[in-house]
Amino acid sequence: MNFPSVDFSWLGNGTVIAIITIAHVLISHGVAIGTSVLTVSLEYRAFKTNNQKLDGLAKNMAKWILIITTTIGAMTGVGIWFSTTVIQPDSIGSLLRIFFWAWVTEWVCFITEVILLLVYYYTWNRWQDPEKKRKHIYIGIALSIASWLTMAIITGVLAAKLTPGKWIDTFSFWNAFFNPTYLPSLGFRMFLAILLAIVFAAFFIRLFVKELSVREEAFKVFGFWGAISLPMTFVLGLWYLWAIPDQAYNMIVLATGMTETAFKIINGIALLILIAFSIWLVRSPKTVPIILSLAVFGASVGFIGEFEVVREYIRKPFIIYDYMYANGLLAQDREKFNEEGFLANATWAKEKEIMEENKVEAGREIFVGQCIACHTINGWRTKRALGKRLAGWDEESLKNYIPTCIRCGSPCLLSWEPKRNWMP
Amino acid sequence: MNNLPISPDNPLPIPGPIGLMELLIIVTFIIHILFVNFTVSLATGAVGLEIAGKIRKNALLYHMAKSCSFHASIHKSIAVVMGVAPLLIISVIYTQYFYPSTILIGKTWLSVIPLLIIAFLLLYLYKFTWDKWENKKALHILVGFAAVLILLYIPLIFIVNITSMLYPDKWGDVQGFFPSLLHYPQIWERYLHFILATGGFYVFLFYAYKNRKKGGLEDYEQSLKLFGAKVGLWITVLQLIAGFLLLFAFKTEVRILFMGEDLLLTTLLMISIVLTIILCIFLFLAGYKDSFKSFVLSAAVFVLIVGIMGWIRHEVRETYLSPYFDEFPRTEQSLELEK
Repeated sequence: MNFPSVDFSWLGNGTVIAIITIAHVLISHGVAIGTSVLTVSLEYRAFKTNNQKLDGLAKNMAKWILIITTTIGAMTGVGIWFSTTVIQPDSIGSLLRIFFWAWVTEWVCFITEVILLLVYYYTWNRWQDPEKKRKHIYIGIALSIASWLTMAIITGVLAAKLTPGKWIDTFSFWNAFFNPTYLPSLGFRMFLAILLAIVFAAFFIRLFVKELSVREEAFKVFGFWGAISLPMTFVLGLWYLWAIPDQAYNMIVLATGMTETAFKIINGIALLILIAFSIWLVRSPKTVPIILSLAVFGASVGFIGEFEVVREYIRKPFIIYDYMYANGLLAQDREKFNEEGFLANATWAKEKEIMEENKVEAGREIFVGQCIACHTINGWRTKRALGKRLAGWDEESLKNYIPTCIRCGSPCLLSWEPKRNWMP
Repeated sequence: MNNLPISPDNPLPIPGPIGLMELLIIVTFIIHILFVNFTVSLATGAVGLEIAGKIRKNALLYHMAKSCSFHASIHKSIAVVMGVAPLLIISVIYTQYFYPSTILIGKTWLSVIPLLIIAFLLLYLYKFTWDKWENKKALHILVGFAAVLILLYIPLIFIVNITSMLYPDKWGDVQGFFPSLLHYPQIWERYLHFILATGGFYVFLFYAYKNRKKGGLEDYEQSLKLFGAKVGLWITVLQLIAGFLLLFAFKTEVRILFMGEDLLLTTLLMISIVLTIILCIFLFLAGYKDSFKSFVLSAAVFVLIVGIMGWIRHEVRETYLSPYFDEFPRTEQSLELEK
């Protein structure tokens, strides 16, 4: 409305953000945070047991943390911001104003993280004598803490989108940051990060580390972290679920696009695979089957994808709960828009009023202003492709359907009267 | 002006005094652009030196190229992280201008992400295969060259973005990145200015590397070192011309501010010109008289010039946008929205 728009007509604008976000979460959680913890743990164990080969493995892992986080990790992180600027400018614009200083602090932590990572990797060979090794391990621990801090800050922003809590009334930064789901989601994410790292690292170690004794040592360390992280992720996940609004909670299954039975079966199987894998790691680290590593790898990537899609979907019809709708309109402007109409207030709309001769063009402007953030005309997701979904409908059916099309209890949707042309 | 597609500002207040934000954006941008310049010149330098090494079958050139490639991938990490802050601030204090200009080239803007990921991965591949691909030099050069091409293309996207935000009256006329390249003024002049600044770094690569060598230099090494400083000198002379081209790409009302109408802007421009001339003198002494002290001084003056350029760049933006600020006010803290 306030800005021009782009149209990823096949992929869908929402999917573009989703792809970048999922890639970033996999890397920031699984590699930057989780794998850092595992790497320094392996390094510590290698130091304690004087195991050069294990130390070499840890160094190799540090190298991959460096390569992945400073390329795909950093760029997808910036990419979330790039894509939301282009696709959800009102939302990211508001979040930047609410959380500006949090972002600045996160940036300082991020710089620290990158510098520590560079130091950690490039001093590995040089700092090998016991005194220096100890210092090197401290650098690794500091790196893990710095990466965790970036998560601890950004989680405040993410959680506030679903549960802004008292901020809606006070507009206070601290109310927004320490919102009702902040702590549970932070706890859930940090243990999830370690779990994800175990799954990723174990898969590659199982595949590429041929020496059984090194593999066994590494898996022992992973088993230790898994024994802590798996139950913690589960418990904190339940706390997280319990803390989100009822309306959002009720949309979880719907968000995945599965039936309730399919949802339970698929997620149940994924959880069982994860438990089986963790037990195997602890009980018999030498004999972890490659097929199980592969299954748990797939299950974890699927789970993260599901988590992000659900988190995004259950906010509907809002993007910042109770404050801003998914299409960037403010909840407080609802009456005004009902009164004056959407197009009259849309800076970039060329048509300001709907008349018989500009019906199609005005309709296009309304679609661009109000629907395009989530919907396409003929995109790959048929449920969201209005052209496919509504093909053949007459005007009367459309009129009846539109007020109910977002199944989230939103009372006011696109209206056909010229003055009330707004949604949601 | 009412017909311009400039939206009312976000109702949430800008979270700090504008002056502080401006100071932060100037400082963080200067640090960012220095590292960008380092990265681009180290990467292009590595590939150029490797090609020269292959043609002349010169081990020393290879060695220098390898050293450049090693540092390029480190500097690129810092360039990226340092870029976050200015991007954050520009989004917050120029929302009404920066967002439309970004979205108008939205798809190209998003292409920066995969392109930079590819470029950075190629830079790592280039760096970590230096010895392994000793017998596959052509392939190795190709990898580095591909990364460099991307690195030289990306600045153009950023330049279109931050230039087009200055021209709300031209926004509706064209759609997309490529038409914008020719639609908005200043773009190519700014690009030339940037590329030459990057080129100016070579002198330091050559000179610093050569000077570290213990036990004296061979004749050809000595001449290479001096050659670097001479190249730096002539690039800087060209930069003076490019600077004037950019100045004349500004609209008249803005240009005359730099030419006497505004004391601050005129002083900044004068200082930068004088410093550039001083830089030329130091580079001349370094290149033609082999003075190490002059080399060190030229490095210091160079950083100073980049700093002043960063400041001038901000003032140009403010000058261009100031007519709009009254008509489309920003939500500052004192104007906090009514609840």
